[in-house]
Amino acid sequence: MSESSKTPFVRLAKRTDIDPRRAMLIRIASIVIALILGTIPMIISGTNPFEAYSVIVQGSLLRRTYLNQTVKIAIPLLGCALAIAPCFKMRFWNIGAEGQITIGAMCATYFALYWYNRVPHLVLLLMMFLVSLIGGGIWALIPAFFKAKWNTNETLFTLMMNYIAIGIVAWLQGGPWEGRKGSQLIPMFNDAARLPDFNFMIGIGEHEFSLTSHVGLIFILILVVLMYIYMNKTKQGYEIAVIGDSVNTARYAGMNVGNIIMRTMFISGAISGFVGFLTVSGANYTLFSGVADGVGFTAITVAWLSQLNPFAMIVISMMLAVLEKGANTLQTRLQVPASISDIITGILLFTMLSCEFFINYRLIFRGRAAKEEKA
Amino acid sequence: MRKTLSVLFVLLIASTLVFAGGASESSTGGAEASDATTVKVGLICIGDENDQGYTFNFIRGRDEATEILAAEGINVEWMTIYNIGEDASCIDANIEAAEEGCEIIINNSYGFEPFMLEVVDDYPEIEFISCTNCASVFDGRDNTHNAFANIYEGRYIAGVVAGMKLQQMIDEGTINEDEAVIGYVGAFSFAEVISGFTSYFLGARSVCPSVTMKVMFVGSWSDATAESDAALALIDEGCVMISQHSDNTTPATAAQSRGVFHTGYNNDMTGIAPEASLIGTRIDWGIYFSELIRNYVNGEEIPQDWCAGMGEGAVVMTPLNEAIAAPGTAEKIAEVEAGIADGSIQVFDTSTFTVGGEELTHAFALDTDGDFTADSEEAVFDGAFHESLFQSAPYFTVQIDGIEWLNAAY
Repeated sequence: MSESSKTPFVRLAKRTDIDPRRAMLIRIASIVIALILGTIPMIISGTNPFEAYSVIVQGSLLRRTYLNQTVKIAIPLLGCALAIAPCFKMRFWNIGAEGQITIGAMCATYFALYWYNRVPHLVLLLMMFLVSLIGGGIWALIPAFFKAKWNTNETLFTLMMNYIAIGIVAWLQGGPWEGRKGSQLIPMFNDAARLPDFNFMIGIGEHEFSLTSHVGLIFILILVVLMYIYMNKTKQGYEIAVIGDSVNTARYAGMNVGNIIMRTMFISGAISGFVGFLTVSGANYTLFSGVADGVGFTAITVAWLSQLNPFAMIVISMMLAVLEKGANTLQTRLQVPASISDIITGILLFTMLSCEFFINYRLIFRGRAAKEEKA
Repeated sequence: MRKTLSVLFVLLIASTLVFAGGASESSTGGAEASDATTVKVGLICIGDENDQGYTFNFIRGRDEATEILAAEGINVEWMTIYNIGEDASCIDANIEAAEEGCEIIINNSYGFEPFMLEVVDDYPEIEFISCTNCASVFDGRDNTHNAFANIYEGRYIAGVVAGMKLQQMIDEGTINEDEAVIGYVGAFSFAEVISGFTSYFLGARSVCPSVTMKVMFVGSWSDATAESDAALALIDEGCVMISQHSDNTTPATAAQSRGVFHTGYNNDMTGIAPEASLIGTRIDWGIYFSELIRNYVNGEEIPQDWCAGMGEGAVVMTPLNEAIAAPGTAEKIAEVEAGIADGSIQVFDTSTFTVGGEELTHAFALDTDGDFTADSEEAVFDGAFHESLFQSAPYFTVQIDGIEWLNAAY
């Protein structure tokens, strides 16, 4: 009796094994709860939640153009989540994807602006592709080098590198690469420097779904498979996992941790740089300092929610894209302020992240525990 | 376990059904709204009405046009999208407005145009307007248009008001002749800004011959703190009159805090700085918007490049702050307004200014080869530089004597 009164009302216990179906159930429940909680800011702001949710779905999926727009938002999110996945697996907190995207985009833009009339279309795109990889990779390599040599704090280092990258582009935008003087705008790319669009059609029954996107979508989807293989089936992927679990174990096993960190960060930065190239050449057709547009940070959420599983990232990035695109239509159709949709997105992310907590831990209530003991 | 799972699925399915139900409902609702006299117009803005300046002025124009047209039996349904950047988000905003059924889409900021032009070919039946820019008129498309007003006329008059105040201070002995220095907070060293401060300066010098001007660029169209800092720096350099080409009211409050005078832009700033702000000038977009929408509804042609001035009411002065303005200012304003309207006053009269000590005899207006330097259409003739004649967007970029650029990095 005295024993049970000392036990706290609620206790936490780590779940050792959880039925995957149960885990999925908790995740679905968290989305439902998020949708229900999301109605609160809507009601407060005087919007009918059913109408609002239906507008979000309509404005992001139910019209051809809107679906294209949603996919356009999802591509960099997915690409960048893939980029940071190996770093996070290694417990190297790369929050510099924003800057790596920016530098990749900047390198590609140089060729788009000054080489478009010198080389054929495909060669130009190939050059833009390659320099974006190298640029993003080197930008990521710098903090990795310092981490490997002097064990500097990678979180701060990568974060600060973002501002430098954005600052460089802001300077180019108002300086050497500016179009009309004083406009602060870099001219739009020539057609030769733009990624071609492709049309994608599937017929399901009598319904036909069609999607237009730049070819980057195909590359990113291939990258999903490649990244899955890399992380799960290769020696390098294994090394990353070992370092993530224990640096000392990795050292004991004779791995050169510094080199692996630098190699992984280069790959990560290169993919981010590639995302930057896709963004300027496939979606924006020009460069500006906000080219990364927070993708480098949102992608962290995507990677985390997906448990670093590349295939899950497709779903999560699409979901965030639906919210973002839907929020725009919500704003234009129902005059819901953008901040309200930000709140809803925040609620969704919060509940989804916290559901991982309930997957990993079990709540044990005092009364129930006693009952279980008796039984 | 199984039970909870099924309950959840039922919930999910139920909610999808409800949303889908809502979907079909509102899509039918949208189609009914369009009848012959209702026109849906999109207005994409760089800020929102809280800037009390640039975008606020467009919102005023929007509401004014709505009123004018309502009296004529034309119903305007506006879709206003706020806080769009001069970046790719502008592409998305234009697509959004087009998909939501706007028949006319107005882009309110200069930097929107290149992004707008990425969208226009997908929607040939929609009229796209880029205010204050200049590529739509020459792009060969029928559905893209530019519009601006002769704001330099209003600037000139604001300059006259400032000059009269400075002359009054000289006459009263508050300052001596050399101390009649104007400080100008400019956004960028950009044609629209250069044209604006030059006309302002020429207005001031027409009534106060000893006036000089210092210009400081802040590198942003809208940065309240930087604008205030620039104004304070100019005052520290001895400027006793502040004017601005930037979106916020902070230069006015900075002027008031240091006991100097100010003239504003886009909005009446005398309420914010009653002891400093003399007058302001703004474009009355209601004139253009109502003409545009009326023409559209009546099936008449929409001008490729619309431009009007004070004579048409497209440029207006905000109320004069009589309490602090020099005596006789109101009469002088009326006189100059009339002079500009009948053409007897040319703002950029080449006999009133020099460039490197010499009279300006030649300057091109338009850039035709896309290298962003003017190369065609002689703007100087009949003793004046003709601003906004060949295109609505200003193209005066000459640095005249008497105006000192403190920084030209932007």
